[in-house]
Amino acid sequence: MIDFMLAAVISAFLNIGLLLIIIGTYLQNMRVIRSYYTSGLVLVASLLMIQNVVIVLFWFTLYMDDKALMMSADMVSHYLFTINVIQTIGLSILVWITRR
Amino acid sequence: MTKPNSADLEFKKDAILKDLSVLSQSGFHRMFFAVISFIYAPSISSFTSSIFHIFGNNTPHNDFNDSRRFKLILWSIICSTRGGPNRAKILNLVKNTPMNANKIATVLNLDHKTVVHHVKILSKNELVVKAEKDYGAEYQLSQIMKENQSVLEEIMQKIGTK
Repeated sequence: MIDFMLAAVISAFLNIGLLLIIIGTYLQNMRVIRSYYTSGLVLVASLLMIQNVVIVLFWFTLYMDDKALMMSADMVSHYLFTINVIQTIGLSILVWITRR
Repeated sequence: MTKPNSADLEFKKDAILKDLSVLSQSGFHRMFFAVISFIYAPSISSFTSSIFHIFGNNTPHNDFNDSRRFKLILWSIICSTRGGPNRAKILNLVKNTPMNANKIATVLNLDHKTVVHHVKILSKNELVVKAEKDYGAEYQLSQIMKENQSVLEEIMQKIGTK
């Protein structure tokens, strides 16, 4: 059986990597063109970044420490996995568009 | 009391059935369809364009397909892709005089391959038109780009002298 929690965290790390690429590109553009558009892009990407960092923190603190919490986290882990994988697919499309 | 004949009975039966069919449609059924047709009466595209119209600038309703779409394409090509500012510079250079890729590269001090790539993307998105020649073909702005040059000028002002 797949460990959904581990898979979810791996895809969260992937998301962080993809978001780093995206934020880097957006920041380069924002340095040249200062406008609502570019700063909005940076803001959205960094909010997504915070989300993924929180997922990793969740895994480190809640999942590793407590047996009871681990059980309850396992019960919802496949939902988390689905969310993260969909996000990874979406972000990789965004990276492909951005660096074309 | 006269006994009703069969034709009379048939007529009555038909009348009752008609009444019933009206009854079944008269209640929630009809109301439901009325509400649905009220919601879906305007098409989805006009619905979205009216939303844009509410939040957007004062462009007329019919211009949605032109200027609004164009503005979105130009901003996203220039601001949300790698090397976007260079694309803006290329557009600004080609604005007045048509140039080929080599000349653009020398003027902007960029690699020839980079310029060819940028120009390919720009022409894919119908911002730039290639001349009919094969070798050293010159590029110039497309019709829709010429009509909406104010958007490009707005972006170039933001870029400034950097």
